[in-house]
Amino acid sequence: MNMLKQSLMGLALATALSTAAHAESVNILMEGVPDTEYVKALLPEFTKETGIEVNLEVVNYAEMHTKLVPQLVAPTGSYSAIVVDFYWVGEFTKAGWLQPLDDRIKADGFDTSVYVPKLMDLVGQVDGVTYMLPFYNYAMGLLYRTDLLADEQNKADYLAATGEELGPPKTWGEYLQQVKFFTKGDMKGVVNQGLRPDPIAMEWSNYLFANGGEYHDADWHATLNNPAGIAALDQYTTNVNEYGPLGSASFSFDEAFNVMAQDGAYSYITYNFFRAAIDDPSKSAVAGKVEIMPVPGQEPGVGASLNGAWGWAIPKSSPNPDAAWTFLKWVESHEIAKQRALQGGSPTRVDVFDDADVNAKYPYTGAMKDMLLTSHNFPVFTYTPQLVEVLGRELSLAVAGEKSSADALATVETEMNELAKKDGKLK
Amino acid sequence: MSRSLSMEAADRRFGWLMSAPGLALLLAVVLFPVFWALFTSVHEFTLIAPNFDTFTGVDNYVTAISDPAFRHSLWLTAFFVFAVVLIEFAIGFLVALMLNSVERFKPIYYGILLCPLLMNPVIVGLIWRMFLHPSLGIVNYLLTVIGFEPVNWLGSTKIAIWTIIMVDIWHQVSFMIVLLLAGLSALPREPYEAARVDGASVFQSFFYITLPLMMPVIIVTLLIRMIFAVKTYDLIYIMTRGGPGVATDLVSYAIYRTAFVSLNIGEASAMSAILLAFILLLTGYLYRYMRTLT
Repeated sequence: MNMLKQSLMGLALATALSTAAHAESVNILMEGVPDTEYVKALLPEFTKETGIEVNLEVVNYAEMHTKLVPQLVAPTGSYSAIVVDFYWVGEFTKAGWLQPLDDRIKADGFDTSVYVPKLMDLVGQVDGVTYMLPFYNYAMGLLYRTDLLADEQNKADYLAATGEELGPPKTWGEYLQQVKFFTKGDMKGVVNQGLRPDPIAMEWSNYLFANGGEYHDADWHATLNNPAGIAALDQYTTNVNEYGPLGSASFSFDEAFNVMAQDGAYSYITYNFFRAAIDDPSKSAVAGKVEIMPVPGQEPGVGASLNGAWGWAIPKSSPNPDAAWTFLKWVESHEIAKQRALQGGSPTRVDVFDDADVNAKYPYTGAMKDMLLTSHNFPVFTYTPQLVEVLGRELSLAVAGEKSSADALATVETEMNELAKKDGKLK
Repeated sequence: MSRSLSMEAADRRFGWLMSAPGLALLLAVVLFPVFWALFTSVHEFTLIAPNFDTFTGVDNYVTAISDPAFRHSLWLTAFFVFAVVLIEFAIGFLVALMLNSVERFKPIYYGILLCPLLMNPVIVGLIWRMFLHPSLGIVNYLLTVIGFEPVNWLGSTKIAIWTIIMVDIWHQVSFMIVLLLAGLSALPREPYEAARVDGASVFQSFFYITLPLMMPVIIVTLLIRMIFAVKTYDLIYIMTRGGPGVATDLVSYAIYRTAFVSLNIGEASAMSAILLAFILLLTGYLYRYMRTLT
């Protein structure tokens, strides 16, 4: 009996000790993307420094929102920290699911001025309150084939056809001309990601900005059904149906990327993280033959790229917000942000963009920075996901020839105005 | 007499007692969610403001019904269900009849037929999306090898819904085969022997014996398959997201979007209740028809 008592006490003590040893752990839900892998690789350093374990739950993008919402609604959820796509910023802050970080930032002297201002606007502050620290950016850029541009025969043919020198396009008009020129036989001028809702909505946004358009005016009135918007949708439809591969109206970004990577197209407007992937010989038949640049605008030097980013946040339902903040400070410190960038991560801090080691390893870092600095933001408000749905549906209808560009954009305008009104943005 | 009555009452009580845990569980997992959804459907309940503070009456139902996109989804779903159930039944019954007369290697045929059914719909969608890639997929490659033009399987508004129907048939036809085959194997031998003695042909045996005897099994099979087909969501989510345009925007996917993209659980519940009403009506009709047969 005595022995049994001793054994039970020993077991209780061991359990208590092991619980104490693992008491501090941070749980984070993240998307299965390269930047998550770069964080994962550095986690042992964090545990060594702080004694805090980090458990990453990595899931597909499509599952994230569905998994997050029940945890955010609950008084105490299971996630210590979360990553927030810019789509969800309006919704999460309006619902009051995120903790303001300003007091913690001030108390610890964490410098947020190092972030690219556009990213702080997108996934940092809302109405002057800091809810997130920008994690990584996925601004869109123009991937184009440098070998096709350097080809002497192409240069001569292009000069004869257009009277212009062949080179990286300086304006949107020049780019569209090149798309037409490079569409010959099996080679297409462009590959598009026409799947609804987000792939087509995000890609078309670049066309809108390239034509000088914007989503709304200063009072949040939608401004899509106008010459810029209609031209953008007409051009998009033409590119998909005349200068793109068969079926690109239903391509998601991975399928479109595969066409580009398998030598099927001259260009592809896509997320910046594909720049590193296209140089991977195991995935790409055109490694070393592709470069990235900001989507050109109406004038040389004017960028038309769509901005996109994720931010780190601490939910109000976080079971251990202090430990979560310790992690956020560490993962967003200059040293760790630089290490992530050296693995191929997409920076959000200006000091990492300008870092000599990062630029030496990835010479296209400057182009990535330009892309970000000249990019345009998608409307961020409570109903951004609904706007993406409506936009995706209507653009897809126009590409399928079931609606004219003007009719499709008129519908988007009406529904966007209703959503903005519902959110109190449009008076 | 009174003793046998009291024994009967005791038996009944014992029966209720034994069934009680099962019934309680059924109430908890089936009826409670249904009533909760119905209650939600008459309130303004969103995930941003998850409360029952505002009673909306039939507003969510009116909004859903007056939305042309929802009505389109309902019609498209009706067409989809009709097409997949009919085609799967035709193929399934034919294969079941053939398998019923097979004597050797039956387990091998069963194994092959059951493979698609055992696969997760998400995997089925991903595999077929790869196979049907217009320029890198194997299907179009094989078509071009034998001299056909490549087909725009998922990018054309006219073809996309038929592509989804084809993939669904590939995935689910084995379900029909298995159920119908089970029904065929349970049929009595005597009527066939009598028919053979009377000189009936194979077709006469089929139309006058097999078909009437199989009718209850056929109705149940069609009913189950129909209910599953109405709920088709995974294939749409993986393969088309309702596009191109609204060509494959089935109702379950539309409800998902309303609930988890628009976060409008109240309206999504109303849409689900409308769908449930249609399914109950159809089920009731088929059940009554089955009762007249038996």
